[in-house]
Amino acid sequence: MTLPARRQGAWSASFATTAEEHLDDVYAYLVYLTRDRSLAEDLTADTFEKALKLWRRFDPARASARTWLCQIARTTALDWFRAEERRRRREERVAVPEQLEAGFAEGLSPELEAALRELSAGEREVIALRVLLELDGEEAARVLGISPTAVSTRLSRALGKLEEKVTVHV
Amino acid sequence: MSETLLNEIRATRPAAPAALRERVRSIVAEKPAREPFLDRLRFTWGWRRLVLVVPAAVVVAVVAAGVIGLTRDDVGGGGERSASGPTTAVERTMRRREALKVAPNASPSLNQSAPAQAAPAPAADAATGSAGAAVAPAPGQLQRYEAQLSLRVEDLEGLSGATKRAQQIALQYGGSIASLRYEAPVTGSGSAQITLRIPTARVQGALAQLSQLGTILGQSYGIDDLQQQADSLQTQIEQTQRRIVGILTQLESPTLSAENRVVLQSRLAASRQKLTNLRESLRGTNAEARTATVFLSLTTEEIQPGAVGGNSRLDDIKDVLAWEGIALLYLAVVAGPFLLLGLLVWLALRLARRRQETRLLQQN
Repeated sequence: MTLPARRQGAWSASFATTAEEHLDDVYAYLVYLTRDRSLAEDLTADTFEKALKLWRRFDPARASARTWLCQIARTTALDWFRAEERRRRREERVAVPEQLEAGFAEGLSPELEAALRELSAGEREVIALRVLLELDGEEAARVLGISPTAVSTRLSRALGKLEEKVTVHV
Repeated sequence: MSETLLNEIRATRPAAPAALRERVRSIVAEKPAREPFLDRLRFTWGWRRLVLVVPAAVVVAVVAAGVIGLTRDDVGGGGERSASGPTTAVERTMRRREALKVAPNASPSLNQSAPAQAAPAPAADAATGSAGAAVAPAPGQLQRYEAQLSLRVEDLEGLSGATKRAQQIALQYGGSIASLRYEAPVTGSGSAQITLRIPTARVQGALAQLSQLGTILGQSYGIDDLQQQADSLQTQIEQTQRRIVGILTQLESPTLSAENRVVLQSRLAASRQKLTNLRESLRGTNAEARTATVFLSLTTEEIQPGAVGGNSRLDDIKDVLAWEGIALLYLAVVAGPFLLLGLLVWLALRLARRRQETRLLQQN
């Protein structure tokens, strides 16, 4: 095996390991962000496709692989939201209820599920990052592009709202 | 928020379905598509890069200044330096100053000789203490001739003797002393600055003698063409004379009205005054061309060859660094507004994008 081919092999293996390790994290984050498991699957695939192209640029000194992948996932989701908004505007439809694949996850109580659905994407994503993926404040801030204090405030508000809505649904 | 809810969220964390896992595996197994060319060129300015780039740029600037400063030989050349080692720094400084002073005044008609005027005498002349290479004023041509001669004498006694001798030389060549400043302190070095006026036709001989008074530290010559100025004055004089003749002829006319006579007489008076002024200017120009000015500077100051060479090189490096700074400042001034505008546009776009993202995240 030639040296470049060997290097290429090592490079691919490294990315494959990372992808395998963080696939669930990315998927879970995107499920919470989009409220749609089917869409989250597509966006997850897109995320890893983009990540593969950008893998050479990944700098572990700046952020962990999980944070980096979540950043790409967020950009991918936002791009999709934008495209969807443009499509809706073009077709002159207003807020048509989407056919979402039922449930955020297996085993979630109906009240919590309903409460989560009523939160905005911004609120759900901070819950996903801090509670579900258990990123620390710094990492979550890096993904969201805001300060750790702002993350803390946003999380506190989101959880308060979630609890309130759960109580209402109960 | 109750811990139960948080635990429930954590416990029911969505897991990637097997189909997605396979899909991602197949993506990873593929050879990645090449990044677009522009994306590959994109450079992100992280603080780590700046930490490396800024000192590297400073090092390059200093090394460049050092190399240019140590290798450039813009005035004399290596031969000159070795021939008059102890005097290079002062000499070069003087020459630079004089070149700046003289060159812009050089007339276009003197183009052929202009470089030689601003340029120093050859090294051999400097070493032998001769001013023989001094540019001679062109005979028959009206020129303003200025020479600057800087000499070092051995001691205060030598300074006094040289000063006296300089006065004698000026008188001997039919010139005079325009100004003299003599300083001979009890301790330290002494100096004398003498301005001599010497007939231009004989200035070469006077310079040759003056240069024998000590070791030449520097010499420079400047010639301004006055012929053009004199010709122009002469033409104006002739025109004015013709005008006066014309007015006088008109005044002799018997049919001239009283009113016109008054007007013509007024014009005649003005023309005569102008003629007087023009003649005075021409006389002044001729007088200026007849006398050359020699600025003679005498000093007893000892100059260490090594120190001088070292300092001059250091000065050169400082000069280059200063020019680099000026260039950087110039760039900042020129590019600054554009950079600021670019930054503002970038910030505005970023803000708009952030707002759009926030709106999208609230809507979905």
